[in-house]
Amino acid sequence: MPITFIEIEKQKTWRISILFFVLLLMYFCIAMTLVQGFLFLFPIHFIKTGSLFIWNHPSYLLTIAVISLVLAAIHFWFSASGAVRSVMNNIGATPPDPEDEIHKRLMNIMDEIHVVTGTVKKIKCMIIPSLSMNAIAVADLRGNSAIAITEGLLSRLTRSQTEAVLAHEAYHILSGDCMEATVATSLFGMYAAMLDKLQSIGDEDRSGLHPAFFLFWILVKLSQILSMFISREREYRADAASVRMTRDPLSMAEALRLLLRNWSGSGLIGSGIEMLCIINPQATERDESKGFWEDLMSTHPPIRKRIEILLRMVHMSIKDLDAKVNSKSEAVDMSVFSNHIKQTSGETSAFLCPSCRQSLLRGSYEKTKVYQCKFCYGILVEDIKIPRLIARRERNYAERIKSLAQAVIADNQKRLALKNLKNTDIKTKHLIACPKCKNPMFRTFYSFAYLIEIDRCNLCNLTWFEQDELEMLQCLIENKITARINL
Amino acid sequence: MAGWILIAITALLLLWIVVIYNKLVSLRNETINSWKQIDVQLKRRHDLIPNLVSVVKGYMEFERDTLEKVTSARARALYAVRMRDKAFAEDVLTQVLGRLFAVMENYPVLKSNENVMQLQEELTSTENKIAFSRQLYNDLVANFSTKLEVFPDNIIAALFAFHKFEYFSAEEADKSIPLADISIRSK
Repeated sequence: MPITFIEIEKQKTWRISILFFVLLLMYFCIAMTLVQGFLFLFPIHFIKTGSLFIWNHPSYLLTIAVISLVLAAIHFWFSASGAVRSVMNNIGATPPDPEDEIHKRLMNIMDEIHVVTGTVKKIKCMIIPSLSMNAIAVADLRGNSAIAITEGLLSRLTRSQTEAVLAHEAYHILSGDCMEATVATSLFGMYAAMLDKLQSIGDEDRSGLHPAFFLFWILVKLSQILSMFISREREYRADAASVRMTRDPLSMAEALRLLLRNWSGSGLIGSGIEMLCIINPQATERDESKGFWEDLMSTHPPIRKRIEILLRMVHMSIKDLDAKVNSKSEAVDMSVFSNHIKQTSGETSAFLCPSCRQSLLRGSYEKTKVYQCKFCYGILVEDIKIPRLIARRERNYAERIKSLAQAVIADNQKRLALKNLKNTDIKTKHLIACPKCKNPMFRTFYSFAYLIEIDRCNLCNLTWFEQDELEMLQCLIENKITARINL
Repeated sequence: MAGWILIAITALLLLWIVVIYNKLVSLRNETINSWKQIDVQLKRRHDLIPNLVSVVKGYMEFERDTLEKVTSARARALYAVRMRDKAFAEDVLTQVLGRLFAVMENYPVLKSNENVMQLQEELTSTENKIAFSRQLYNDLVANFSTKLEVFPDNIIAALFAFHKFEYFSAEEADKSIPLADISIRSK
């Protein structure tokens, strides 16, 4: 058992080599399948030697082994060496702004973590401009490492809680977990996708498959389960390490509780790197249920269990913690957030809300599927669905929407009239980016009869309605309210 | 034949000595380095305190003695020489500073002052760093002491005159007496 973090860092991470061997085996299987297939197609040469099967030709096996070794090494190096930058770009993380007080605090805390770990290797800290709550640690073979934390989480944690979370992530980096996870992710993400393709081909022509394919399939599945086990066990270890660094189990428990209570963001952090996060971004109810199978198949242990372990160190129960936290004013904001979760139940989608950068939930609205942001209540609709929404009259509109709609169109008409009179453009506001193609969306009126401003992407045929805009539009059309001023 | 065996044994012995000696040296250097870390942070704290006091002074006329305590505790910490005295003086300084921060909570003017908030954040960060580097140093000292005492290593340690390091902590006996004298009267 290493005593200091310096020693942890020195330990060679032998598990990475296991991953390498799994990769090697996988390449070997692929190569063997290919060569064997080739032999079946062109059997001329081998009819002479009397055997069609490759394992009767040791020299071929050797060649395949060498080739797969080279391929595996190349793959391994490329997938793991530039990971930090690519992951950070992928999730849109930016370096903290030293002028900003909260960011400055984060940078200070990062320095403190360096002191406590006593390591020379610098860990970068980054900010993810998202309202979701998560933190992620990445490390690669070149020795770069970074911890990124979302604005949402950063703003809700106290100083000591941030410290605990960063210490947790720093342990992942120091112990080499991160590197492993980065490697595992880049390897298995790719192969899982390939496997899906292969399976769909195999459905049509299953008879042509070589046994090596099944070995390959088993290996991929096994390594997925293996990486899950690694990931789950090390969350506990990182919690423990965080406590050892900060000597403050309570803060860690509080931070975890905050993560548990507030629905974590997803989407932004693409699937495949969830192993690197402090809590699984795809977390649903499933992760908190105690079933054996669910327990086995999730990448993170149930947070409740982690909190229980931490609280045992300070002789508290979860109830005590709840009572303690509820007595503070923070409780108010939590209840607000838990309401949000109940209201919009739906599956997460790949689209991000253009203003909150939180992934949109696919849920039903007027009996059709739309994407809604649960923070700002903006709604993203495919253009073909707009007529349906307008035609359906399931909803009753509150007086508020009606009067708001009237006010808005009156105002818009006035602006439009002024614009026409003076022949100048309305001041161009900042344009929001299309959630799908990231190009700026057009800000236009729905029509000149119904002057509600909407954002439209003409490339993807998507329309973004901000909060109430869709309802106002529907209300206007149903009640046939048009602008009153006639020019 | 016997000669060869003798040579082989001597070579193995020498190798063993070299390995252990190198291990001890690297541990010693780590410990020294971590002590330097503490020293840097302590110095930083000593530099920050006068700034904070001078900014806060104008607002906190009524808390003159709290401020004075901070200043005098700083001075004492600055001139402590022995490790134990130093640790003790720094402990006192931490406590007094904690009290100052608590008192500052009562002054909304200070909370809205950006300068004060920055200084407070810097000091908090430095305090944490001190605590952490102290943790690290003490862990390393413990580690090194164990190495010096366990069986085969202690022979080499004695041979090359390795010394134990002192822990950076005030001893319990020292701690209890003067602390009582400062703590109660502040509010």
